[in-house]
Amino acid sequence: MPVYALTGGRTRSTVGSQIPVEALVTVTAAGLGAGDLQLEYSKTIQLAAQPVSVVEISALLHVPVGVARVLVSDLVAAGFLEIHLPPTGGAGPPPAVLERLLEGLRAR
Amino acid sequence: MHADAAGGTDELIPLKILIAGGFGVGKTTMVRSLSDIPPLLTEAPMTSASIGVDEADAVPDKLTTTVAMDFGRLTVDGSLILYLFGTPGQSRFWFMWDELARGAVGAVVLVDLRRVDDCYPAIDYFESRRLPFVIGVNTFPGSDAFGEAAVREALALPSDHPLMWFDARDPASSQAALVLLVEHALARTAVPS
Repeated sequence: MPVYALTGGRTRSTVGSQIPVEALVTVTAAGLGAGDLQLEYSKTIQLAAQPVSVVEISALLHVPVGVARVLVSDLVAAGFLEIHLPPTGGAGPPPAVLERLLEGLRAR
Repeated sequence: MHADAAGGTDELIPLKILIAGGFGVGKTTMVRSLSDIPPLLTEAPMTSASIGVDEADAVPDKLTTTVAMDFGRLTVDGSLILYLFGTPGQSRFWFMWDELARGAVGAVVLVDLRRVDDCYPAIDYFESRRLPFVIGVNTFPGSDAFGEAAVREALALPSDHPLMWFDARDPASSQAALVLLVEHALARTAVPS
């Protein structure tokens, strides 16, 4: 199947190209009530019943990361998904987040 | 638990750590021993964009240009989710490291002492990007034959740079390597240089 057809050939546009691969999405109330959507959109919404990342969506739907980005970007724009971005754009996470990570790892 | 659409308390935070090193050094093994989910496989991010639209269009079978990358996931606490990316070690895939490295906690560079050279590109890369990294000497047969000082010298590492011997097959050992990295990353935030 030509996966680029799923997003109308827009995977090479700038839409969503800046979304980090680890960005998480969760379904919104509007997303739960979304009507008929293209299959890949519906699958993405189903995956987002639990927090799921762009890269997981890519792997689980067997589509390239670029396609997963566009799916997510479109669904966020439609209000069907909420996106949860990493704490910072360029540099690493702030100390408070690192301390939580350290604490969590040690507790495992 | 995490915040939901109705408005919970804790905002979900995704984090990532890179597991780097040469081919066959144990990156996939480490991801597997740490991940809460069976490791997943995806195409390298930004593949088509990095190649350029025209060139990508000219490639008849796009699969020939893609790079497989495996990753795992750890739910650290209710709202903190950590992704582990096994990064391809070959230098021709460096274009994808930039995207993966952006915003990362840091990297664990795996070393096989039988093939020390294989980790040089990874070390060079993280040093040049000023991304926190630690060295994990994976325990292969014969890896005990070398002392720490010899390894540091072979890797041109300062005496205070975090380094440990570990076993990528062992979850507790792999987790200790992650802890070493996060401690190092945290220490660096305290002393900006």
